Amino acid sequence: MIEIKQLAKKFAVENPKKLSEQERKDPRLKGRFFHSVEDVSFSCKAGEVLALLGPNGAGKTTTLRILSTALCPDDGTVTIGGEDVLQNPLNARRKIGFLSGSTGLYGRLSGRENIRYFGQLHGLDDAIIDARIEELADLLDMQSFLDRRSENFSSGMKQKTAIARAVIHQPAVVILDEPTTGLDIMATQTVLEFIQRLKEQGTPVIFSTHHLDEVNELCDSVTIINQGTTCFNGSLDDFKGLSGEGLHQSFMRAIA
Amino acid sequence: MWKIFKKELTELVRDRKTLIFMIALPVLVFPLIFGLVAFVAANAIQDAQTKVLKYALVGEQFAPEFANTLQQDTEHFKLITVTEGQDFKQLIKEQKVDFVLVVPSTFSDNLFDVGQQKLQLHLNDASLNMVYGRVNDIVKEISKHRQQTAFADLGLGELQQQALLEPILLEKHNIADKREDWGEKIGGMVPYLIFILCFQGAMFPAADLGAGEKERGTLETLLISPIERYKIVLAKFFTLCFSGSVTAMLTISSMAVWGIVLSQGMAIEIVTEFMAAISVLDFILMFLMLVPVVAIFASVLLSLSIYARSNKEAQGYMGVLVIFVIIPVMLAMLPGVTLDGGWAWVPLTNVALAMKELIKGTMDYFALFAIFGSTAIIAGGLIAFCVYWFNREKVLFR
Repeated sequence: MIEIKQLAKKFAVENPKKLSEQERKDPRLKGRFFHSVEDVSFSCKAGEVLALLGPNGAGKTTTLRILSTALCPDDGTVTIGGEDVLQNPLNARRKIGFLSGSTGLYGRLSGRENIRYFGQLHGLDDAIIDARIEELADLLDMQSFLDRRSENFSSGMKQKTAIARAVIHQPAVVILDEPTTGLDIMATQTVLEFIQRLKEQGTPVIFSTHHLDEVNELCDSVTIINQGTTCFNGSLDDFKGLSGEGLHQSFMRAIA
Repeated sequence: MWKIFKKELTELVRDRKTLIFMIALPVLVFPLIFGLVAFVAANAIQDAQTKVLKYALVGEQFAPEFANTLQQDTEHFKLITVTEGQDFKQLIKEQKVDFVLVVPSTFSDNLFDVGQQKLQLHLNDASLNMVYGRVNDIVKEISKHRQQTAFADLGLGELQQQALLEPILLEKHNIADKREDWGEKIGGMVPYLIFILCFQGAMFPAADLGAGEKERGTLETLLISPIERYKIVLAKFFTLCFSGSVTAMLTISSMAVWGIVLSQGMAIEIVTEFMAAISVLDFILMFLMLVPVVAIFASVLLSLSIYARSNKEAQGYMGVLVIFVIIPVMLAMLPGVTLDGGWAWVPLTNVALAMKELIKGTMDYFALFAIFGSTAIIAGGLIAFCVYWFNREKVLFR
């Protein structure tokens, strides 16, 4: 169970002249600060998949970066299993698995070395790492390329390796930031199957996406962020019920 | 932390491009190129020395003895007969002759009557040639002969001859021993070379360690691993220090080996004598002084690298930085710049000066504490800044 309450995060604007037309009109620009996230709250229970939706620049990535402890919020709380993530980020990182569409690999290391490296950073024993890699390689069908240098991997191979790397430490919650963006159909399918498997295992998954068909296929609940504020929180059925005319219409209605 | 260090090193060793720049170029390619250049240059000089020079002599009749010497030396000189009044410049330009020698009509007269004689040597001196030297050798021989004849005519003994030729001789008694003498000559070059090599060795991997992580999209994953940021910084910092020092050591050892091979034992005695004069303590001190210098390089490079958005941007910043390494060391090589004045407080310059003093064997060891201390403080401050820099969201997510 992961619970997010009233998150807020602002960034100092270094050079107001460099802001785009759209950013200048954004009501979140207040003085020398851009309030990227103003008030975001949602929760995700065990075995639940939560879709985080919103237009570009709504604050989804900032929210997920706060959840992953890469960024520190100005306000709000994040608790995983009752423990405050912000108080002890180091401990929280052991419980979180994070993956984004743009996550890369160390090209000069093999797939196995990439996964092992992060296993070691998580403080796992070598024997456990080896066993986990074998398990994940079988699960994700990676045995044929696991020991090759990752710089020559196809996007599907890269994504499979990145997934294995993200869950090597068996995280209590998995956060995915647009994990299918820029991927081909095969690689996308790998990611979706992986989310399905996590769901079956009872691991809560939060993922941001622009693909509503993925939401329909996998998600139990939906959170929509618009201009840094949560504007919808509910089950997939509630979301569908917003318009009754398909998910796209529901989305448009939610952010209207 | 050492896990990150180990992984960075593994990646570094597997990066062929960086390895070529760091090791292959300085260890193999550069000495080869230098060797080749030296070989070609030596050959060119040899050719100029042995080439048969075509010459024209104007006023041959005034110096039969001289003309005879040249004519008989057919291995080195070949007479070309030219008609009176021809343009020397044109002749030389058209490469019909290599030089034209004009003898004055009074050449063979008694030198007490006519005084000093001037021979005119016309040549194109723009390209490599040995014409002047080779002609001068012959002229000197005749000159010396005439001198002796004149002295004999005057009835001067050897003592008087010497006194006339050089009435007062200034004798130099150098109290500097060989070490100090050589130390002054090459002592400035050593820190220059070491500094640049250390910097370069750290520079190539630096771009990859910070900006490269951003570019590949691996930085975020690293940041959310359960490891303190300062450990990530230190691991990367040590990687750069290691790579900088190893490059410098490798290159210097390779230069030493190549130097010995190329000099074929000629200068070895001087080198070994010189090296033996420098105590082990001085070597250790030089190495210790380098530690904070390498730390300064590594922390500045890492800070720049993590600030840059891409490898290319990082390399741009670092290119500019090279000047800031070269200038302080160049200052240390200038005459008159010593550790006595305010120079002891100029970072990098003071270390370069101290290394020079250590090589010369004239180091005031107490000054070393201040230099080492101040450099270490700067290095420490820069490392602290690097850690602070690595914690800035603005820097990491630019």
